[in-house]
Amino acid sequence: MREDRRLILALGGHEFSRRRGDEALRDYMLALAPATRPKICLLPTASGDPAEQIAAFRRSLGGFECELSHVSLFRLEHERVRVAEHLLTRDLIYVGGGSLVNLLAIWRAHRLDRVLRRAWESGVVLCGQSAGAMCWFEAGVSRSAGSASDVAGLGLVPGVLSVHYHRDDDRQRALHAAVANGAATGYGVDDGAGLLIRGRTPAVAVSGRDGAGVWRVEPDGNGSVVETRLAEAPVPDPRPAIDEVPAAVRELRRVRRTRERHRGRR
Amino acid sequence: MASAPKRQIVTFGGGGFSMEAGNPLLDDFVLSLPGRDRPRVCFVPTASGDADHYIVRFYRAFGSDRCEPSHLSLFRRHRTPFDPCEHLLSRDLIYVGGGSVASMLAVWRAHKVDRALREAWRRGVVLCGLSAGSLCWFRDGVSTFHGDPQRVDGLGLLPWSNTVHHSSEPDRRDALHSWILEGMPTAYAADDGAALHFVGTDVAQVVASRPAARAYRIERRHGRVVTTQLGTRFLGDAEVVPLRRPGLVAEG
Repeated sequence: MREDRRLILALGGHEFSRRRGDEALRDYMLALAPATRPKICLLPTASGDPAEQIAAFRRSLGGFECELSHVSLFRLEHERVRVAEHLLTRDLIYVGGGSLVNLLAIWRAHRLDRVLRRAWESGVVLCGQSAGAMCWFEAGVSRSAGSASDVAGLGLVPGVLSVHYHRDDDRQRALHAAVANGAATGYGVDDGAGLLIRGRTPAVAVSGRDGAGVWRVEPDGNGSVVETRLAEAPVPDPRPAIDEVPAAVRELRRVRRTRERHRGRR
Repeated sequence: MASAPKRQIVTFGGGGFSMEAGNPLLDDFVLSLPGRDRPRVCFVPTASGDADHYIVRFYRAFGSDRCEPSHLSLFRRHRTPFDPCEHLLSRDLIYVGGGSVASMLAVWRAHKVDRALREAWRRGVVLCGLSAGSLCWFRDGVSTFHGDPQRVDGLGLLPWSNTVHHSSEPDRRDALHSWILEGMPTAYAADDGAALHFVGTDVAQVVASRPAARAYRIERRHGRVVTTQLGTRFLGDAEVVPLRRPGLVAEG
């Protein structure tokens, strides 16, 4: 049987920076693109197409053998592009974070929801972080309206996704509530971790940082939920991250903590 | 019985701090309309994707010495300390910036800001804006944001059509004419530097920040498109107003 070529990489929190895990997840994503010189497009719609996000994307991927582009729906007046045609001829589309509610409203106004579904069906790898990860699911736990609540997504992937999972207690609570009240399976993805979905099925969990993981959340039948941590494949940073703490410093801190604990006991 | 609040909308063909650095005439005009000291002014930059540089320019143009400025960010609501709709209803003037009218309307509807703006207008909050911030108040608008001119459904507070940057964009004008013939409502069009001041749903006056800027009514009469230039008041030094007599200027 042929492998399903529909791929989505949902990242719980990722930037095109040199912080821990960010380059590791970028490299993992690049390896998914089915071409020797992949055409990669950034869609920064969810945060209103900020120039800094576009610049960081280009800086981070600039050294690789690939063709980079971005589509700014807010600058179409000056940056003319046939949006549907452009997206459908990419190998990978990366959707940045921001407001999930705005992202979906704007896509629908421009009919990009249908275009992206077609792109996915034709084998364009869809990738994104935060709002750009949740948009592919039936629902996502969003802070677009201030407090955390679930918002309907494009529904390419069944279930509810929550991002920044252990950084944001409110999102975790909202995911638990959504799962406990409904029949859907939930996924919680930490900053620095990702979930690869092949077809409509979660296939691989990846982690770029110690402790960053992916959780499956299911109803326990008694009005509460059970969380199961998925076994992550660790992905390495290609070079030391700028916030990487060297092993010697980590050891020193450990010794100091132990001493302080002993002192406290005396 | 208290009289109903005066409903006012000012639509710029283009101009104000967004387009006319150093020429504050249109901004000063809208700031004078609430008729109170230091009016509460909220800038709504949705059509630009809440672009930081645009918000900064607003605060520079609307200093706290002469008004109480704020802005509404719908892309970063989790960092906004107030409810958007309540905030809009408590302002004296709402100033909508330019950009993508389709994206702006979609985001407004998703956050129910469209309803809040309608309610604010009913309660007498002055609404104004340029470009996308002009088109949005009308029933129909002509946008060229995506290349070829497109019709957009606005909020419909004003039962007319609208087009902006009128004299500087001939494509937009041609498209408007053909749609008017097809039954699009009568249009009000403004040049860069001209602004239509609506009280209720009627034009009360046209003001301009540039002596030559004009506004027009464009309608179908006996199967033809008739364009009428509207009398315009230049907001600068009065003696230099080169006002042509209002009247019929073009048929097409």
